[in-house]
Amino acid sequence: MAHAIHDLPAQGPIGVFVHHNTLHALQHLPFEQAVTQAAQVFAAEPYLSEQVYQEHRQNGRILDRDIDAVLAREPDATLLSGRLTRRQLRRALLIPGVRRVNHGNLAWQIEEGRILEQFRDDLSPTAKRALESDHPQRLWQICTDRYQPTAATHERYATRPAEFVLSKYQFDLDEEVHAVLVRLVSAYLDQGLAYWPMPSREMGLLAATRALFASSKLIDLSQNLSGLRTAFKQQNECDAEETVLALLKQLSVQAEEYQEFLSSELLALPGWAGMVHCLEVDPMLAPHERLSFSLMEYLAVRLTLTVVALRNVSGSTTSWKMQSIPLNRHIDPLTHQARLFDACQLLGYHSDLLSSMSDDDFQELCRELEQFHEWERRRLLHRAYELRHERQILIPLARHRAMPAVAEKTDRLDAQVIFCIDEREESMRRALEEIEPRIETFGAAGFFGCAVDYQGLDDAGGVSLCPVVVKPAHQVAEVPVNEHHSRWSIRKKIRRLTSSISRAAGIGSRTLVRGTVSTACLGFFSLFPTGLRILAPLRYEKWMARLQALFLPQPRTELQFMRNDDESRNAASGLLAGFSIAEMADRVANMLHPMGMTMGHARFIVVMGHGSTSLNNPFVSAYCCGACGGRSGGPNARLFALMANNPEVRMVLRDRGIFLPEDTWFLGAYHDTCSDDVEYFDVDFMPSTHLSDLIKLRSKVDEARARAAHERTRRFANFDQKKSIHAALRHVKERSVHLGEPRPEYGHCTNAVAIVGRRSTTQGLFLDRRAFLISYDSSNDPEDRYLAAVLGAVIPVCGGINLEYYFSTVDNERYGCGTKLPHNISGLLGVMNGYQGDLRTGLPWQTVEIHEPVRILFVVEAAAERLIRVIHANPLLKEFVENSWIRLSVVNPDDGQIQVYRGHGEWEDLEGDEEPLPIAASSRDYYMGKREHLPVARIKAHHLMSA
Amino acid sequence: MNFSYFLLVLLGLPLSTFVLWGVLWLLGVSWSERVIGRTVKLVYAFMMLAFLMLCWQVYQQPQHAVEIRLGDWFQLDHYEYPMAFQLDGITMPFVGLTIVLSGLVASFSVTYLHRDPGYLRFFLLLMLFSFGSLLVFTASSLDLLIGGWELVGITSVLLIAFFQYRPEPVKNALRVFATYRVADLCILVAVFLAHQWYGSAEWSRFREIVMHQDGHAVPGGMFSLIAVLLVFAASGKSAQGPFCGWLARAMEGPTPSSAIFYGAISVHAGPYLLLRAAPIIHESTFATVLLFFIGGTTAIFATMIQRSCSDAKTSLAYASQTQLGMIFCEIAMGWHTVAMMHVIGHATVRAMQFLRSPSMLSDYHRQHAGSGGVMQATGKHYDALLPLHWQRKWYCFALFRGFHESLWERIIGNPLYAFIRLLAKIEQWPTRQKDVPEQASSSSLPVID
Repeated sequence: MAHAIHDLPAQGPIGVFVHHNTLHALQHLPFEQAVTQAAQVFAAEPYLSEQVYQEHRQNGRILDRDIDAVLAREPDATLLSGRLTRRQLRRALLIPGVRRVNHGNLAWQIEEGRILEQFRDDLSPTAKRALESDHPQRLWQICTDRYQPTAATHERYATRPAEFVLSKYQFDLDEEVHAVLVRLVSAYLDQGLAYWPMPSREMGLLAATRALFASSKLIDLSQNLSGLRTAFKQQNECDAEETVLALLKQLSVQAEEYQEFLSSELLALPGWAGMVHCLEVDPMLAPHERLSFSLMEYLAVRLTLTVVALRNVSGSTTSWKMQSIPLNRHIDPLTHQARLFDACQLLGYHSDLLSSMSDDDFQELCRELEQFHEWERRRLLHRAYELRHERQILIPLARHRAMPAVAEKTDRLDAQVIFCIDEREESMRRALEEIEPRIETFGAAGFFGCAVDYQGLDDAGGVSLCPVVVKPAHQVAEVPVNEHHSRWSIRKKIRRLTSSISRAAGIGSRTLVRGTVSTACLGFFSLFPTGLRILAPLRYEKWMARLQALFLPQPRTELQFMRNDDESRNAASGLLAGFSIAEMADRVANMLHPMGMTMGHARFIVVMGHGSTSLNNPFVSAYCCGACGGRSGGPNARLFALMANNPEVRMVLRDRGIFLPEDTWFLGAYHDTCSDDVEYFDVDFMPSTHLSDLIKLRSKVDEARARAAHERTRRFANFDQKKSIHAALRHVKERSVHLGEPRPEYGHCTNAVAIVGRRSTTQGLFLDRRAFLISYDSSNDPEDRYLAAVLGAVIPVCGGINLEYYFSTVDNERYGCGTKLPHNISGLLGVMNGYQGDLRTGLPWQTVEIHEPVRILFVVEAAAERLIRVIHANPLLKEFVENSWIRLSVVNPDDGQIQVYRGHGEWEDLEGDEEPLPIAASSRDYYMGKREHLPVARIKAHHLMSA
Repeated sequence: MNFSYFLLVLLGLPLSTFVLWGVLWLLGVSWSERVIGRTVKLVYAFMMLAFLMLCWQVYQQPQHAVEIRLGDWFQLDHYEYPMAFQLDGITMPFVGLTIVLSGLVASFSVTYLHRDPGYLRFFLLLMLFSFGSLLVFTASSLDLLIGGWELVGITSVLLIAFFQYRPEPVKNALRVFATYRVADLCILVAVFLAHQWYGSAEWSRFREIVMHQDGHAVPGGMFSLIAVLLVFAASGKSAQGPFCGWLARAMEGPTPSSAIFYGAISVHAGPYLLLRAAPIIHESTFATVLLFFIGGTTAIFATMIQRSCSDAKTSLAYASQTQLGMIFCEIAMGWHTVAMMHVIGHATVRAMQFLRSPSMLSDYHRQHAGSGGVMQATGKHYDALLPLHWQRKWYCFALFRGFHESLWERIIGNPLYAFIRLLAKIEQWPTRQKDVPEQASSSSLPVID
């Protein structure tokens, strides 16, 4: 059972969407082995399709030299002595690529594609010359005569009853079982959508199901499930495990087959089974109803249904194991023969040559061809695809580093802005620095080292604002300032009233009596809010905001985060109330140290958390801050700024080597990555001396967010790039408040790189919003302490995001959740298609449609041997790196030499200079008129260029 | 000034857009989404304008219904098939609803379907649907109404199967199609009978017959038959009575199509037919009682099921069914104005709720936060008075949709398959071979529900 669970998706309720490696369970294997293994288990795709890679080859995204480089790293062998090596054969099959001829389309290819009348027209000149005197018909004849591949075994034993029933009775047993199972499980797990909660569900799924069926005789009406009632009754009150064992016995599954059998049964409905499992592991994930969740009980119900249905359909519960069933994925000999035919043309093998070849040689050739099957070809093409990406990033990076810095050093900076490492902030950081060279930006994980359980003013309870692997130990709450308590109580009353009205309206419109009255009398008026929202989303939002400002009082608030005594804990949750001075100083120091912010502080240090708001979008949490566990990082930024402004904390920091000038003021802010709005916290606590600076800074940030929005809109096909940056800002704002907008933003889509290093390495580089930027200064870190901490947080987070996007892109139906348009929210836990189906996990097509599925390329500015020591010291990082789930490279902080990690302690120096580094006067000049992925460029403003 | 001809403009706009796009598309012309989106919005804007003109006309001369006769379609002896449209007190609200709601849904879909490969297909079907439903609501005879009725049906089926590359949408679309066929048969037979007995299937003719009982000595039973057939036809469209199972299955299409079809217009075509045919239905006590019975039982049945639904769209589908049942009852009681108000209110609120259904999660969380974390529990009114055993019994009944699918499979599905198998055997009989593959098992064939 424990092993069978492994393959289930690990995505919890959708309200908090946490990105993680879709194949987390296989992370102990090397990437390529894992994707093929998973592809077999889930019947999914391991890579993009061969056709897509070949298109990339044609449009120059993959170069022939990349394929050669990849082949050079694969073991070579002589196939036909003096004539053909494995490398030559593979190269011929990859350039220009094999034709898709198989047993399914062969007849069509012969009649319509005329493959037997003429040779391929994209052959190399040598091959063409060699085949001049030959005819395809003859070649085909010899291929089919001489090559008799042994057909794959056509039959195997069924792994589970449904397979047997499907092949013998052409009847889908799962459909019958799932119709009942999905209703039961979704009703059981429901978090408050249904009007009636499932009766006695506090007893657990199995007991509640038994009670339910015991109460009604009607279930036996169903032809294929009659006898279900007695089956549940006969189980008496056995617990789930006993029941499962008894059912396995009934199905005559042997102990050694348990794992495979259970795994295949669970994978028949992976979404629901995975959800039960997730909630069992951590019941706190359930947003409202925390029940007893047990996968074993789920399995007991599932197997009972299966046994009953099987008995009704086939009359016996054991016979399914006896009969072999045809394999549905066998490859016909014709496919192999067609491939040989294709290969001979590509190699330029004349039919005479082929017929005169010795048997051994011929066999060798055929065997090699069989081994170089489609997945193998795609594996190599994918490597070439990633190799070109790697060079497109690293070579320009090296060029840029060799050039003089874009911004000159000034005596004192105007402001330093700490952003989240998120790749969506890259454009904003660049824009800000482009506008004002006296502003420096940094990147740090968006919870800013403050793992807290936070309760906002309007929240019902506390939520964790930190990466999911961390459990917060401190509690922070937003409270109204003293003189605004009365406003707050009015606000609470109004909110309680409006929420109970909207709830009553929602429920009332759906019931019988209340519904009749309310829909007949009031129904028509619902046209106005929703209709106006659809027709004029922005204006509607503005009016609503005005109304709110008029009627909903907004108290001034402050954070409750100070702890004076040592051990003040919340009695119920056991959380520490706020932070002591020492704890605060720890957090601030741990943040500033690795970034190299120990001196030269600006007057203003802005800490900018981020999140995302959008309407009608169940996936909104996937766009929020990953470092805050799929929530918004605004409160963390606010908290960090308050901590760093505390004079006592600054005293402690001084002892630790961080001297913050008197006039340096930290300011918390929040950036909405969907609407590009920026909000500042606690401005009224700021000393009045800083007010004019803030006004200046604000105008620059406003300009930067408009520019960033304009850059972002180049990806949206329905925005005309010629419009102004302010039109772009309006456009993204409209997206965030539009009801019918399936892509409020693209989220982490297109992410591909993570650069850990000083900003000077990347400053002025156009990275196309595709790079996570993590500030780390190795000169400040002789013991690699901070490097270990930074990488320990960043590699799993960025790697997880990147791999989730990778898998949802290569197979959107299996690993992702398909198109968003028909999604139906089920039980407030997830989405499904249609009226009763599996929960869909992963990312929707609308989020990944423009993603380039490459494994993330980490570029770390540190010495190679130090880096690898740090990585090997952490088992999780070692797994990521050595199993190639991420790609790794280093920039030497001293001489700028770039090295790429090739596994097993082997570093390869970056050589070659085929990738240019275009130079543009501004980001806008560079991206205007282009919607595709853009190569790295150097942005050097005019006034600096002349200098 | 006479604005009557705007009625033709109203009908012609969506039809001509559909035909033009369809033909050009077949010829291989393609447009950008921007062009399609703008055209769609423009078409609905013009339709709205034409409708307002018509409203003005009706307001000016309230005693005259707007009517346009385009001559006869064809004529045989004393059977005539006129092409005539009319606009009166019953038609007006339905036409208004259609234009406003499909316009809103179209406006929603222009962004919602952005970059979907089926973008043009969706709007083609939406145009055809708009034309079909306007035809239903403005046709002055049953003959013409059937045309629109079928267009609404077929576009509905094609939009359920919009994501044709997955098996479930196609399977469920087929089921809905089968259900529609059975229900549509009723309306077809009703038309034949009307022509047979009265020589015409025009609404005005029905009214005359009811008022004067003139000329044709038609026995009352015949009259009832037509009324009953029309009640069944309306039930099919509105998922009532024997046809109550398909509505949940129809939730496979894109969200906006669910809104316009199953929240708003398509399902309310049933009440329209009933309101139109009300004079004949009320003539027959049997048909009136049947109508009340169908509406009442469905309302109670559907509201029970709705209470156990734990997903957004199915919950809304059964909520629709509940209110439609109530509307049927109101029509049976003769409360036509109430029914009309109910149709308008319900169609609007439901369409909007469907459009907002992806928000159900955030709505719930907002309400939860607003109430300070203590939500009032639902299902604790009279439901809680029942003993636990009965609560379970009812819940089980509701959760499994009253087991009506199993029931239908037993009483209709099985005999039908047996019959089909018999036919297959007869067909194979002359050339019977030894190893005829075994027939597919019953449940893989579509079942009528």
